[in-house]
Amino acid sequence: MTSGSTSRKDKARAAAPRQGANRAVIGAVVAVLVIVGVVVAVLLGSGGAATPGGSATTESSALPAGATGPGGGIVVNPGKARAGAPTLDLYEDFQCPICGQLEKLFGPQIRSMAAAGEVKLVTHTMSFLDDNLKNDSSLRAAGAAACAADAGRFGQYHDAVFAGQPAKEGQGYTDAQLQTFATQAGITGSALTTWQQCVKSGQHTAYAQAVQTQSEKDGVFATPTLKLNGTVLDLQKLTPDYLTAQVKAATK
Amino acid sequence: MLARLVLGVVLVVAGALKVTTPAVSAMAVRAYQLLPYDVAGVVGVALPVVEIAAGLLLVLGLLTRPAAVVGGLLMLAFLVGIISAWARGLTIDCGCFGGGGTIAAAQTHYLSETLRDIGLALCATWLVVRPRTAFSLDRRLF
Repeated sequence: MTSGSTSRKDKARAAAPRQGANRAVIGAVVAVLVIVGVVVAVLLGSGGAATPGGSATTESSALPAGATGPGGGIVVNPGKARAGAPTLDLYEDFQCPICGQLEKLFGPQIRSMAAAGEVKLVTHTMSFLDDNLKNDSSLRAAGAAACAADAGRFGQYHDAVFAGQPAKEGQGYTDAQLQTFATQAGITGSALTTWQQCVKSGQHTAYAQAVQTQSEKDGVFATPTLKLNGTVLDLQKLTPDYLTAQVKAATK
Repeated sequence: MLARLVLGVVLVVAGALKVTTPAVSAMAVRAYQLLPYDVAGVVGVALPVVEIAAGLLLVLGLLTRPAAVVGGLLMLAFLVGIISAWARGLTIDCGCFGGGGTIAAAQTHYLSETLRDIGLALCATWLVVRPRTAFSLDRRLF
């Protein structure tokens, strides 16, 4: 009996420190696993975003024609805006269905305002939907549109893409489709050859990525977003009359 | 045990839904406009991993107290983020279970998101105070 009770005490005494050690070991192992997981995730996360642009950055740092800056939008109606006309910034992703809706409903009005010089229209082609939809169509289309800007046909190309937007979100755009949009935009002959080379070499891929980054830095996290002289327009209130009135009020 | 499973399962699910789309998660964090661009990116990518880890530990009942502390701090951080976005008049999706970004004002769910995270924070607090629960590895091992 006595020997039994001492051995039990011994066991308890022996087990006590070991329990603490076990807990520390498990804690350390878990902590290491979590840290490794975080590091791997960060490396994969940033690596995935950097790879497509990596080669393009070295190839050309030249901005597409009409770009307002390294990550800025492209002026759709360069030199058209009258003195005192407000700037209308349009943030869109080529794969965003609501942007397609907006283009259908307000595209003609926005185009005519731009053509008449009532606004300086700046379009920012964002590409975050690639991440949601697990493809690269937004970025490719944005790069292709920037190449069209070099041909002086950014607006037309932009309109052609939205007119040809797939009925189902996520189907994306094939290279052949992107080329069809170029012909529809009126890019022909040697200009088309230049456009093809521009797209093939990914000349404006880095620019398109910079637009996404800069848009987020400017507080745009959804498309479509319309800013009139820097103030976001409430899309819930958007009607043709509302847009006209807002533009009028912002004109100096 | 209920508190442990609720908090654990929610964390695992929330982490798992985000971990495969790190860029989306990074943008969701940026939409709060609280952290600098690059820091928000790292947080967005690392957060799901931490959520899954803390959640798994809670579900298993392993290292319950430290895991609950992490879970509680996460909920506190989420609450600060959501309430500050609410107070600043931002209209964003919390991005709690993936997604995120700016949405229409009518689509925001700040109240329910806040209440949910308060509930989960209470679960975490309970576990920090009383980490020993039924059917836990802690109980089996230690």
